[in-house]
Amino acid sequence: MSNLEDDLRIALRREEPPADFTERVLARLNQPPAEPTWRERLAVLMRPPRLQWVAVAVIVSVIIPAGVQYRKGERAKEQLLFAVRVAGTKLHQAQHKVAETGRMGTRL
Amino acid sequence: MGGLAVRVQEESQRAVQVELPAFADIVREHQGMVFSLAWHYLHDRALAEEMAQEVFLELYRHLASIQSPEHLLFWLRKVASRKCIDQTRRRAFWPKFGLDDIPEPSAKTRQADPMLSGALAKLVASLPEKARMLVILRYQEDLDPSDIARVLDMPVGTVKSHLQRALGVLREKLARTVGEIAL
Amino acid sequence: MKILGGFALFVLVGTAGYGQALDLKGLEKLAAKASDSTEVALDGSLLRLGAKFLSADDPDQAKVKKLVAELKGIYVKTYEFAQEGEYAESDLASIRNQLREPGWSRIVGVKSKKDRDNTEIYLKTGGSEPGGLAIVCTNPKELVVVNIVGKIDLDELSELGDLGVPKIDIEKPKSTKPADKKDHD
Repeated sequence: MSNLEDDLRIALRREEPPADFTERVLARLNQPPAEPTWRERLAVLMRPPRLQWVAVAVIVSVIIPAGVQYRKGERAKEQLLFAVRVAGTKLHQAQHKVAETGRMGTRL
Repeated sequence: MGGLAVRVQEESQRAVQVELPAFADIVREHQGMVFSLAWHYLHDRALAEEMAQEVFLELYRHLASIQSPEHLLFWLRKVASRKCIDQTRRRAFWPKFGLDDIPEPSAKTRQADPMLSGALAKLVASLPEKARMLVILRYQEDLDPSDIARVLDMPVGTVKSHLQRALGVLREKLARTVGEIAL
Repeated sequence: MKILGGFALFVLVGTAGYGQALDLKGLEKLAAKASDSTEVALDGSLLRLGAKFLSADDPDQAKVKKLVAELKGIYVKTYEFAQEGEYAESDLASIRNQLREPGWSRIVGVKSKKDRDNTEIYLKTGGSEPGGLAIVCTNPKELVVVNIVGKIDLDELSELGDLGVPKIDIEKPKSTKPADKKDHD
């Protein structure tokens, strides 16, 4: 084993995150979704007064609807994946059981 | 639905109360691995912590599909790797280095161990994306090339050749700044 | 529609059925008694929107995207109960009555005495509208109802269930390395 590889193992050894890491993860599980980062970036446009109203118009007419649509789409995607997973899992489990017993379902 | 107990959060964001203590234990057990992977890759502690949190939030959504402790570990490494690599691809300002373009550490003489480790970690963090993750999975997680290939969904031969090349470059760059490195 | 061999896993081809979703409102009262429940109702534009956000680069999501391309709706209700006896067969009466209507055929019924699971799978056929699939799974502490409206490939759907993790391309590792590694120094 070369010294470099030993040095790499030392340099890349695991470190613990801050002590409250787990609590923060659990807290996020119960939080509403975070604000989209595009809002923070757009805040820069708000600072110079002369651009403020232009920025507001753009935000209201374009950015907010796009952001809302994005979040809606992401949620719809999550739900779709969940629904397909549930359906596929139940179907697969039924297939497996029938294959195990070697017979079709028998009764209502 | 089998597997580890999980309750999917509804779209209306109703708080999930059941099984959180068990999930907290899972987080505590694996947080070091996930955080370290992100930290060594991104070399930005705040970003690494955020990335690690994202991994566990995603785990929570997929707990029902985890089939064993080994699967869990594999899943965490896989997702953490992917998120880190995606993160660097999204950061348009991230400097892209070829393996031969890695800047040498500024230290010119052999340093004490912690500084060598620091220099080496910085060199690793400036490797190209895939090579960087390969090195981290190899030397932080002690995975062999076939396991790395599964985690990163790459051919084993590619993993081996990337690793060999990355080590060669790291060796060369480090040797120039800290003196002879025993091969 | 053919049933091949032991288990009927067959592709639903062509248009069939009346394109109507099942009325699952009768189940909603169970949410109050359930220790946890999830309800998904994706139809029309919401289904298309969700499909649009699926990543073509992710193999699993790409499979889902292809699978749902001709769906009109997908509805899932899952309820988990802390104790047995929190729901009754009568709670499912409305759904079972709908599944007895013309067009619906029960193609699979599987009971497990050991787990006390009961899974029934129904297909909707006939007519000029897209077909559908209904899955009703019960056990003493869990109830799952799935209704899919439109054309769907059952083989592909079942494969996605085998994968276990629909969102990320992942497989169960063959390695048996210990879960954690100690530091090396």
